Amino acid sequence: MTSLRWIGVIAWKDLRAEFRSGGRIAAMISFSVLACFLFSFSLGSLVAGRDVAAGLLWLTVLFASISGAGRTFDAEEEDGAFRHLLLSPVSRHAIFLGKAAANLVPVTLVAAFTLFALTLFFGIAAPGSVALHAAILLPGTIGLAAAGTLFGLISRHSSLGDSLLPALTFPALVPLVFFGATASSRVFLDRPWAEISGPARLLWGIAIGLVAVGALLFRYLTDD
Amino acid sequence: MTLSARDLVCSYGPTRAVDGVDLEVDGDSILAVFGPNGAGKTTLLKALSGERRPDSGRVFADGKAVKGSDPEWRSRVGLVSHRTGLYTKLTVTENLLFFAALHGVAGAATAAEEALATVGAPELGRTRAEALSRGQRQRVALARALLHDPDILFLDEPFSGLDPSGAAALETILRARRSPERIVVLVTHDLRRGLRLAGRVVVLRRGRKVLDADRAECEAEALLGLFTDPGSPA
Repeated sequence: MTSLRWIGVIAWKDLRAEFRSGGRIAAMISFSVLACFLFSFSLGSLVAGRDVAAGLLWLTVLFASISGAGRTFDAEEEDGAFRHLLLSPVSRHAIFLGKAAANLVPVTLVAAFTLFALTLFFGIAAPGSVALHAAILLPGTIGLAAAGTLFGLISRHSSLGDSLLPALTFPALVPLVFFGATASSRVFLDRPWAEISGPARLLWGIAIGLVAVGALLFRYLTDD
Repeated sequence: MTLSARDLVCSYGPTRAVDGVDLEVDGDSILAVFGPNGAGKTTLLKALSGERRPDSGRVFADGKAVKGSDPEWRSRVGLVSHRTGLYTKLTVTENLLFFAALHGVAGAATAAEEALATVGAPELGRTRAEALSRGQRQRVALARALLHDPDILFLDEPFSGLDPSGAAALETILRARRSPERIVVLVTHDLRRGLRLAGRVVVLRRGRKVLDADRAECEAEALLGLFTDPGSPA
């Protein structure tokens, strides 16, 4: 079986279990909608939505993703299934990529809901091109899903547990959030692609780097 | 086939869980590993299966050194542990199909049905794992371990949670698997059942091997004596 097929099998299994339990995705989306509502309530009369929406979008997606990342391995640990997954002939890289692919779905949903909620609550009439927002958010969510999967594993196996997660994750994700917010703000302000493409390329580079580093470290952490 | 270990050492910090263990088991024979709590049985099983890299020493299969990270080795290994390792939100069939896909089992749906029938649980396929009793889960875990017809089956306390009929079915399955091409390694506290199945017996105490003998040379009472540390209060 090819690695690609294994990745698909693992991602499908995770998503099936995820949608049946439902708790994590619902919690992440609820958090993002509530955060957007509170932002609009406190800032809406002080600033123009388009000026601050990008920062709030990435901040909300970052926090929602990290809060969900801590539960990435819940199903694996609940009855000791992870031991059996690791003892299968599947490569560690495929396991990581399968789990990161499954993580990408809730993070993408959160990003989409947050963008919609910010536009709605701040009353932004022209939030910029949806396709361009997608082109910026896609590498961002890939990077967040990869980092969340890796750090979810680390925090699971640390005696500090979930309290370790933000401390590990936030410094590593600063460049991702910085370039993501920069690119998104230019999309919100309807700037030309020439101004957006620079940070967008950097964003893709960071996302690919996080996936590659995540896969390497995952193998190191799980190869006992 | 043969499975052997030479001078295995596994430590957790300063504690040596497995301390210089040698052993050898041939196909057609079930190896039963006994010992009191904390003797290092589970750690030894993890080292033999390749789940845990020993600090020193090697494991050999048919004379070739085993590398736990080798996918070909992992495809030859089956495991039943005291935690059943099922995904609770998935049905039994979904669990089995998932692991069948990981192992590249051809005709996975049929294999899953047959495995469930073998462990005496053909009716459980559509039930979510979270709705199963402990004993039912253990049966499904055994079905999963058998799905890919492994050469080497490792069982860590497989009788825990099984009712008498489940335990009897497990004994029958393990006896049926005896063949020169297959090996079964059984870690258990259940002396009576372990001795009924075993062809070879190893007793560990504080990580060290204190007995390695053919089943015919072992009596339960004598083994019980080996569980107690000399000098420790009775």
